[in-house]
Amino acid sequence: MARYLIRFYGKKRGGRRTGSNLLATLGSGCFCALALTIGFVALGKILVLLTIPEVRANRDFIEQTALLLDKRLDERPTAEGAEYAPRFLLKFSVRGRTHTPWALFNITDLHTHDRPREEALLARFETGREYTCWYDPREPERVVLSRGYSWFTWLMLVVPVPFIAVGIAGLWYVGLNWGKSVERRSVQAQEAARREQIELTGQAPPFPAVPSPGDVTDSPGTTLAFRLPTVELGWSVLGLLVLSVVWNSIVAILVWMAIDGYRRGSPDWLLALLVAPFAIGGAGLAVLFIRQLLFTGGVGQTIVEISEHPLYPGGRYELFIDQSGKQSVKRLRVLLVCEEEATFRQGTDARTATRRVYEHEVLCREMFDGQAATRLQMRAELEIPLSAMHSFRSEHNKISWKLIVGGEISRLGEFERSFLLHVYPCRLETLAA
Amino acid sequence: MNEGSVRILLDGNRRVYQPGDVLSGEYQVESLRWIEPTAVELSVLWYTEGQGEEDLAVHYFERVDALAQASVDLRRPRRFNSRLPYSPLSYQGVIVKIRWCVRVRVFLRGGKELVGEIPFQLGNLPPARLAEAGVAREPVQQPAPEPGGGF
Repeated sequence: MARYLIRFYGKKRGGRRTGSNLLATLGSGCFCALALTIGFVALGKILVLLTIPEVRANRDFIEQTALLLDKRLDERPTAEGAEYAPRFLLKFSVRGRTHTPWALFNITDLHTHDRPREEALLARFETGREYTCWYDPREPERVVLSRGYSWFTWLMLVVPVPFIAVGIAGLWYVGLNWGKSVERRSVQAQEAARREQIELTGQAPPFPAVPSPGDVTDSPGTTLAFRLPTVELGWSVLGLLVLSVVWNSIVAILVWMAIDGYRRGSPDWLLALLVAPFAIGGAGLAVLFIRQLLFTGGVGQTIVEISEHPLYPGGRYELFIDQSGKQSVKRLRVLLVCEEEATFRQGTDARTATRRVYEHEVLCREMFDGQAATRLQMRAELEIPLSAMHSFRSEHNKISWKLIVGGEISRLGEFERSFLLHVYPCRLETLAA
Repeated sequence: MNEGSVRILLDGNRRVYQPGDVLSGEYQVESLRWIEPTAVELSVLWYTEGQGEEDLAVHYFERVDALAQASVDLRRPRRFNSRLPYSPLSYQGVIVKIRWCVRVRVFLRGGKELVGEIPFQLGNLPPARLAEAGVAREPVQQPAPEPGGGF
């Protein structure tokens, strides 16, 4: 019986989640429909209250000369305090009929908390004098003293766009997948990806879920066939630079505000107290960046070349390692590793866990005193175990083979660099056979 | 009211296949006397298990729709066969596991579904273990899994 009941909650069975697809789809559909409704209601209100009146005021309203009889500040209470906008009592005649409406300054009639600004606007007009105004031919009591297009009115049109976009895209997605199983959706997604792959490379991938070797074979070597790309690509130095610049720019603005307050004779001690730990953190980041930059420069370039790529279980390959830098190399070690990588959600964060499931020392060279050199070139043989798992990549899970070159550099200490390898399940020639 | 079930049989009761082998078998929707199936989907697929979010990809898919083919009887046994791909191989890792299975999903009136599944192994990789730093580890050969039911 339980099989026929709709499950109202998701239940985790081992690594698999169960629950009602129908309810999940309905929930998504309701959420998207709500977003779309909010977007359209907001758009309608903005059009009716702001955009259309402004367009009409500029296109349809009729110019007239009116006598200013009185003026006042309109006050509107809100939760954040009162808001103000000016009002002008005008007197003018249209086709022999006299009108005495309270006119707005402009059609948007925007109320603000800035009372002095609104009072200054009010003071620009003198009672008893004549001014040009524009009235609505459909409703002559609706009058403004100023026309023109405001950026605010048109910018407000952007506000509902994300709601409408999320609503339409979400409903389109729900409609497309309505009543479709996870397998059928997967088939459709795979087919789209396969077509894209065929368009790009002219053929379907021979090994599904195995990364393409293109990122490695794109770079030919000078000693052996291919030069392996590093996994890090210097992102740690670049990341530290960006973080250091952004952090210290914010700190500099806050420090400037604190100093400016002190110079004016009204020092903000609380601000100064709050800025101090951030300034220390900023200085720490700058030191870390300089240290990392010096370390990277000192360690120098690590070149790893390989005789063949992709690799296959049971295969033997030749390696060439070239380590050069400003400081001498005391120890160099090359490891072949295989790592599993799993990405999962924890609350709102996406986390990645890594476990090393294979590690083999390919090469280790200790340099004794007097032997240490700033450039070290070595050759080694690499063997992939016969029962090795091939490289694997899906959206949230990965199995990667890497060469890790690490060691110790004089005066700089330990270093480690990773180079990506792709292990295929079997040779492409086997498939052809 | 009878719940119904899905019976899937792999030819020769095999559970281990090598890349490029043909996987074939038969499936049947059983004991659904009062509820009419509207469609049946058969998938040969792999999915991941472990610490990460589940990924899934379908290697072979067929759908029989009673609405599209009025004469079809979804309760009768149906055969299937598919040549298996060269990857990904079944893998028993530490935080990433790759499982292969044949899954049959029966759609019933009112949006209800019945699912039957039978696992199989593609390739014969040994299970992985955590590597200890500085120690070369060679994987251990894994015995083939016991044949058995898999709904």
